[in-house]
Formats: sequence, C-alpha cells, structure tokens
Amino acid sequence: MRARPLAATATATLVLALAACAQGTQDDQDGATASAVDFGADPGDSMSVMGFGTGDEIAQVRYDRAVETLGDVDVKLAEGELDIQAFLSAVASGNPPDLVYANRDQIGTFASRGAILPLDDCVEAQSIDTDAFRDEALQQVTFDGRVYGVPEFNQVQITMANSDLLSEAGLDVSDVNGSDRAAIETATSELMRADGNKLSVIGYDSKLPEFLPLWAKAGGADLISEDGRTAQLDDPAVLEALEFAVGVYDKQGGFAAVKTFRDSADFFGAGNQFATNVLGAMPMEQWYINVLNEESPDAPVAFDAFRGSDGEALAYATGSAWGIPEGAENPQAACAFVKAMTETDAWMAAAEERAAARERDGLVFTGVLTGNEDADERIRSELVPADAPQPWADAITAMYEANDAAFATPANPADTEFETAWTDAVNRVLNGQQEPAEALAQAQEEAQSALDEAWERWDEEEG
Amino acid sequence: MTTAAPARGQAAPSSGRGRRPRLTPSARRERNAGLRFISPWIIGFLIFTAWPILYSAYLSLTDYDVLSDPSFVGLENYQRMVEDPKVRLALWNTLVYTVLQVPTYVIVALALAMLLNQAGRSAGFFRTAFFIPKMTPPVAVGVLLLLLFNGQYGLINRMLAVVGIDGPAWTTDPMWIKPGIALISLWSVGASVIILFAALRDVPTELYDAARVDGAGWWRRTRTVTLPMISGGIFFVTVVNTIAAFQMFDEAYSAYFGAGNSTYSNDAALFYVIYLFREGFQELHMGYASALAWLLFVVIMLVTAVQLVVSRRLVYYESEQR
Amino acid sequence: MTAVPTSGTTAVAGAGVPVPGAPVAPPMPPSTPPRTRAPRHGNRRPVLRGVVIVVLAALAVAFVYPLLWLLSASFKPRGEVFDNRLIPANPTFENYVTVWQEAPLALWLGNTVLVTVLAAGAVTLSSALVAWGFAHFRFRGRGALFGLVLATMMLPGAVTLIPTFLIWNQLGLVGTNVPLWAGNLFGSAFYIFLLRQFFLSLPREPFEAARLDGANNWVMFWRIAVPLCRPAIILTFLFEAQASWTDLMRPLVYLQDSSTFTIPRGLKALIDQFGPGGESQWEIVVTASVITTLPMILLFFLGQRHFVQGISTTGSKG
Repeated sequence: MRARPLAATATATLVLALAACAQGTQDDQDGATASAVDFGADPGDSMSVMGFGTGDEIAQVRYDRAVETLGDVDVKLAEGELDIQAFLSAVASGNPPDLVYANRDQIGTFASRGAILPLDDCVEAQSIDTDAFRDEALQQVTFDGRVYGVPEFNQVQITMANSDLLSEAGLDVSDVNGSDRAAIETATSELMRADGNKLSVIGYDSKLPEFLPLWAKAGGADLISEDGRTAQLDDPAVLEALEFAVGVYDKQGGFAAVKTFRDSADFFGAGNQFATNVLGAMPMEQWYINVLNEESPDAPVAFDAFRGSDGEALAYATGSAWGIPEGAENPQAACAFVKAMTETDAWMAAAEERAAARERDGLVFTGVLTGNEDADERIRSELVPADAPQPWADAITAMYEANDAAFATPANPADTEFETAWTDAVNRVLNGQQEPAEALAQAQEEAQSALDEAWERWDEEEG
Repeated sequence: MTTAAPARGQAAPSSGRGRRPRLTPSARRERNAGLRFISPWIIGFLIFTAWPILYSAYLSLTDYDVLSDPSFVGLENYQRMVEDPKVRLALWNTLVYTVLQVPTYVIVALALAMLLNQAGRSAGFFRTAFFIPKMTPPVAVGVLLLLLFNGQYGLINRMLAVVGIDGPAWTTDPMWIKPGIALISLWSVGASVIILFAALRDVPTELYDAARVDGAGWWRRTRTVTLPMISGGIFFVTVVNTIAAFQMFDEAYSAYFGAGNSTYSNDAALFYVIYLFREGFQELHMGYASALAWLLFVVIMLVTAVQLVVSRRLVYYESEQR
Repeated sequence: MTAVPTSGTTAVAGAGVPVPGAPVAPPMPPSTPPRTRAPRHGNRRPVLRGVVIVVLAALAVAFVYPLLWLLSASFKPRGEVFDNRLIPANPTFENYVTVWQEAPLALWLGNTVLVTVLAAGAVTLSSALVAWGFAHFRFRGRGALFGLVLATMMLPGAVTLIPTFLIWNQLGLVGTNVPLWAGNLFGSAFYIFLLRQFFLSLPREPFEAARLDGANNWVMFWRIAVPLCRPAIILTFLFEAQASWTDLMRPLVYLQDSSTFTIPRGLKALIDQFGPGGESQWEIVVTASVITTLPMILLFFLGQRHFVQGISTTGSKG
C-alpha cells in the first residue's frame, strides 16, 4: 500500500460522500410532513410519547385508558418533563417522537419552526370536540385559524396565605389578595422576620418572574397586543407592576435572599412553607391546594382568589398541550391517543378515581381544572363536595372563580422568545443589574424584533 | 519527535537540490508498515478533524437549521456575532472566569504539591485524598455546587458563619455565581497536584544544598531553585487549564441550564460553549453556532500563543541549550 | 479543572479526561539520565514535618468531605438534606428505592457500562496501533505527521462539534450510542502521545531477535510491544473509561430518548425534574448523584496505582 494513493483515495471518497452531507433532513424523511399526513389512515404498530409523566391519578388513569383505546399499538412513554433541546434535536435528526407534551406557550415557537404539524385534519379524522375546550386555552394554540395543539389542564393562580400569621398581625386574607397593593406592602413588612441577612419568615412572595403577566393585568395592562403582533412591555402599567413586585422583594432583603430561602424549603412535603409557618402569603397555582391538603391538612392556610385593583378575581392561565411533531412515524396513533386523553369522559374517569382516593384517605377532593369546559363543569357539580370543610371550601371557590376569570397570552409564533425576553428583563431587575424601566425597554426591543421576525416568516409561508 | 537521525535505509541525497531521493525497498517497506499502523488515525483525522474543519468554515457562512437545506448568507453570521449582546456577555463571562480561576487553581495546586513535598512517606496517602474528587462526574459536581453553595443553608455558608463571615448567595447572586463555580473547580485540583508534586520530586537536591550553603532562606530557595526547575510543569498545568477554563460547560450547564431552569436568570453563568451549544442544538442555528465556534478557536489560539511567548522567557527546560 | 483540549475525535469541549496532553512546546528527549531525586526531607526538622502533616490532614478531610456529605445526604429523608449533619439523624434507605422507581437507573447504568467499555477498548487498541507506528518505524515525514497529531490536541472540541453531529446525522446514527464511542476507533492524540512515549522506551533487541525469527510486524506489536507496556495500556483504558463514563456533552447532543441515556445524562434529567427548577426533591438528585459517582470511585481504587503513575509520568514528560 502506498501512502500517496491511499491519501488521495481517502480524500476523494470523503469529499464525495460528505458533499452530500449538507442537506436538509426533511427531504429524506418518510415520516409525516405538513402536506402529506393522512390522519384517517390505519395507525402503525408503535408510538412514542415525549414530555409526559404519569405521576398522579389524573395522568395515570387517562393514560391507561388511552393506551387501551389504541389496542394493538404499542405505546412507549419516556417519562419526564419536556427538554426543549432534546426535542428539537430529535426533530432535526429525523427521530422525533410521535407525540410531544409541551407547555401551551411553547407551541407557537414549535409551530413556527416547522417542528409540529397543524392538527385540523387530525381533529376532523378523530372528531375531537374542540368546542369543549376552554376558549383561551384553545386560542393560545391556534394560529391563523389552524390548531397546532390540543390543550390539557388549566393552571390559574389563587392567593394562599398563612391564617395564623395573618391573624397574629391583625390582618386578613383580603389584605394580601392583590386588590390593594399598599396593603400587600404593609403586610410584607408586618409578616416578614429576618435575623440580619437571614430570612426566617417570608412576608409576601410576589412570585417573579413567572407571574409578571398577572401583576400587569391586575394593573390593567397586557404584555402583548391581542393579535399577538405587538409587544407592550414598555407600557407604564407594566412598569408599575414590575416595580411593585420587585419592591416587595427588596423589602425583604432582595430576591436572592427570598429565593435561596424558598429553595431550601420542603415545598412538596409535610414540612412545606405553610406548615412550618415561614411564609405569609403568595399567589400560587391552584394545584398546590392538593399538595397542601395531602401533606399538611392541618396547616393554617387561608385561600382567596387573586384579585385586581377592582376587587374582581383575576388569573393568568397556563397549561399544557399535545402536539404532533413533523416527521412523526405514526401520527394517526398519536391523534387517536390525544383524543382519548382529552375527551370529557377521560377527565371524568380520572377525577372519579382521584375523588375516591381522597375519600379513602379522609382528604378533600378539591376538583381539577382540565382545560375542558364540559369536564370542568361536570367534575364540579358531580364530584366536588358542596360541603367541604374550611379552608378547603374557600380554596375550591377561589379556584373556580379564578378559572372563570382567567386570561391567557394571545397566540404568537415567537412565544418562547417573547417569554424569554420579559423573563430575562425581570431577572435582570431582580438581580440588581438593571433598573425596571431600562430592563423593560430592552425587553421590548428584543421581544418586538423576535415577534417581527417570526411573524414575517409565518406570513410568508402561510399567506 | 525524531532527532536528527536519518531514516534507516534512506539513500544519501543526490547532489541536485530539490530532487527527492529514492527510497530503498527496505525503507519503503518500513514506511508502509509504519503508515499501516498509523492509518486508523489518518482516516479518523480526515473524517473527524480535517473534513469538519472545512465543513464548519462553510457552515459558518450559511443559515442552516437542519430541517431544511442550508442557505448561503455570506458573512451575515459574523456580523450578527459582532452585534449580538449575548456573544459579548458569553465572552466576558468566560474571560472573567478564566482570569479568576486559572491563577487560583495553579497556585493552590502548587501550594498543595509543596506541602506534599514536605510530608515524607505519608505524601502518597494525602496525594490520593486530593485526587479522589477528580473522579467525580462533572454533573455530580454541579449538584454539589447547588447544594453545598446554597446561600441560606449550604454547608459552605454554614462554615463561613462559624468564623463570622456572612456568605453570599453563591447560586443566585450574579456577582458570586462565577466565583462559586471557580471555587468548586478547585476541588478537582488533584491531577495538577500530582503533576507538580512529581516535578518537585525531580528537582536535584544538590541545587537546594548549594543554595543553602550560600545562605539562601526558604523564599529565596523557592524563587531561585524550585520555581525555575518546575517551571515546565507549571507552564503545562497553566496552559492546559486555561484551555479547559475557556471551554467550561459540564458543571455550569448541569447546575444552571437545561429543561428545569427556564425561569431563573442564568446570565452570569452563560459561558461561551454553553451559548454555542444552545444556539446549535436548541435554537438550531447551526450556521451561527459554527461561526461562534471559530471565534472561540481564534481566541484560544491567541491566548495559547501569548502563553507560549511568555514561556520562552520564563520556562526553563533542562534539556535545551539556549 | 484539567481537561483535554482535544480534536473532535474523542473528548469534546468540557469532557474531563483527567490529564491533559502536552502543549506545543519544545519536547523532552524520551529518556533522561538518572539523577539524584530529592529525598523526602526525612529527618530534617520534625516539628515542621508535624505541622505540615496536620495541615495536610485537615486539607485531605476538606477534600474528601463533600463526597461523604453526598453519601450521607442520600440516606436522609427529604426535609433533612440541608441539615448538614454527617451522620443522618433518621437514616433511611427509601431514597434508593424511590430513585430506582422514578428513573430507569438500571437501564442507564447498563448503557453507560456498554458505552464506556466500547469507548475505552476502542481507543486503547487504536491508539496503541498508531503509537506503535510512530515509535517503531522510521520514515521521512514521521516527525511532521506526529506534529500534526499533537496539533489536533489543541483543537477545541467546539469547532468540530457541529459538523461531527451532522455527519452522524447523515448516517442516521443520532439517537443511538454509536457516536459516543465509534470516534474512538481512530485513536486519540493524547493517548497516542502517551503510548508512544512508552513504546519509545522499549529496547530494540527483542524486536531484532524476533525479526530474525521471522516474526511479522503485527506479531511484534501484539506479542512483544503490548505486553511489555501493559501498565501504559491499562492506564489508557482507565483514563478513557473515566472520561467516557463522566461525559455529558456527547449524550446531550446525541441522545434524546431517555431510555438510551447514560447515567450522567440521566442525572442531568433528574436535576431538571427534581431539582431547583422542578420539584425540589433534592433527596432523589442526591441519591442519583451517589449512584453516578460511586462506580468512578471504585474504578479509582481498582486502578489507583495506574492513575497516579500515569499522571505523574505525563506531566513530567510534557
């Protein structure tokens, strides 16, 4: 073997072989592409799901039911929360799962990248009853009239407070439910306890950055225009909301102090912040009611809806949605599975299971917010006890009030980037790196340019 | 590397310059045999080094998201790089971290090695103790970072409190995130300690004796004998760790990035390779990420070149005749 | 943290091979004449020695303590993880049961063992072959070629990361564990350098004798050179085993289905799900960390001699 010819052949082969490398994967996929999917065809043998977890009965019961519905199709579930990087890499490498479970505010970005398919044909083929879904939930996953996700769950905020700490300070839950910001500020000072720099009781946790939209809306502002095209982060009311929420942290030694204290708490256990009396009040998503009821049923908790300055209930709704990735091998099975997971009967079966379990354990069934209006109503009327003990009765009332009053971010194809822009801005303020006005101005710029770019691409392709 | 000895069996060069001397059959056999053994590396080099370098250069001039074909955009990615505030942030973070971490690391390694050198027979035992943490997978180091350095209840701050220091919020305060990572990186100093310790042991005692005879105290001896004699080892450890610091990824990504960390700020921990990884594999901007990789390459090369130049003045190699 | 600044062939940016390769510096000749080694200051000033030992002991405790803390924390129930006691107040095995239920640990461990053995085995074999080629045979251009090998050590992994991914993608192997070890079939510059040093130090007589007996190149390599350099071979295997086991970047890039994860990748997924951004179930994360780390500690104790000797040698020859 001579060295020179060897080198020459090797190089030549490589150049030829890899010149073919720079090619998009979409062309050589025999999986689903936007134009080619026939949702009415027979489902294949197996189906993979990414991003879902069967941690509790509500998930497990529906999952088992859906798997049964699919009959011979072998369902493979990789449990665990969705890792966006893993998902997008999977789509890019032509190995996407057949079904992906994501947050509703990620669907827009996935859709605009071409990573998930429009589902109108799926809805038709499986007769999915889209009217049953809550308006704002469905709207969040609908672009240009086409549905890209099937909603599941609704998460809304209610006010949760430690009734013992409140009464000790001569306050009550209406002082901390958001309707009176000055009252919250007072309550924060009254309720907090600190030893030098070390917090021992958090007075009020305004839950930044996640809940900025809630605070903004309470002050009458939306972060983005209704058509989803214009960012409104530099609106003075948004600024006011941010300054208020940050101010609450500053009163308590700064966000870092509150966060590290919060991080070391036994959030999901019997030693949670209410049970150990280390938290005065906070807005919190309604599923936490269940955690409290299960882990520390005797903890002194008080509930109310979160209210805007007009005293009316208000909540910022988020939730999950099912999407079918571009290139999925078995979209038909995926579609059938989604139908089975989100139909009213599925929710009822799951809720019944949970209600029964609660009764066995001597706990209260506090309801489930499913994102499906019909299911919500039926669950409330048939399964939720009308005479639940306090404070759980208040919790239930608050929860359903919030559900009815919930608003969601309008759908837009850059939802992830938009959220990152304002979340980063809030974080910069929380860390003392920027003033609120500056931070929001920067976020406005970043968000608007992301929106413009995404909408441009969207309008080009769809228009 | 070969010394000046000519290859066996090679014919003497003919008088005319530039004409390749012909190899004897045995020389040719030798060469071919050698190349046969080396061929795996050559093939690997072509496929996984040479080609990717060319391809990466090409990609950096395109807009490619893998789902569709690449589109040529010329120098747009580089221009975007110049304007991108995150690039500046990532570079800054990486530079600050490197400047902070490398000198500290080398000094600590040297100090430990010097201590070991005085320990006599038990040096081996302590050497082992210092090295064991190096076996910890970086992901687990990230976990320890989050737990031990927790601002309120972490062990580090508890211990600082014992001596009256109010420890900062290592894992949430942006000013202290990088120092926290640098501090925990010191935990893996073991390998460098071993290298420097071996270098220290190689210093001939005669030199110390001579210095002592001349009346030199400890510091003088260290400065004039020890440090020059082990300067090769110090240089080695410095260069390697600088390059590694520039490519910090595992621990910071485990602790501060990924699926569970989308809400809280991690700007202070946005190292360059993390940003590159995100741009390439999450945002699927493969062209842009390729351009980012080239910038990193240039920066590392520059820094290493500077270190090499500096070393010519400072590093003493016993074998050289300068 | 020391890590190899290697080419894209093996470790990628951030993967921690314990000891780095040599920078492009004037090389040392392969063997140096024996000289007087500094005695370990045996009997000089015992007081100083005593102080040094105490300081070292304190430092040694500090270094090993985090591992003990981690182990101890894995036996603590959830609320107590932060109490920082070395001996748990209420020890429990429950975490180990829970973590086994929450995550497919057996699967992950199996994946990791497979990948590690393949990666370490492949790189040891191929690097030995290549190193032998450089050490034993002499030909024009050998120096330049070896210089090229050394140069690739300086290449940051990030530069070749994306094209390498695209190559594997084109071959349809993304999502499998093949990219995690197959690159090692072509040798790795660092180990080639290391093994070459050892091969160079072998005397030529056995080979001349073998050649007279009619042995071919392969036999001389496999039957003579390799056995004579067994410590170096084992060393290479151990180093790469550690690097491969602990690698995070490559599993992040190439593995998406959680059933294919290696254990560091799995641990990362657990951090995401149960850590600060997730459910704050630290006890699960801690326990999984112990399970991830323990095999490496065991590996160290098994090959302790080799690790230490290997690092010392590389450093001094660099």
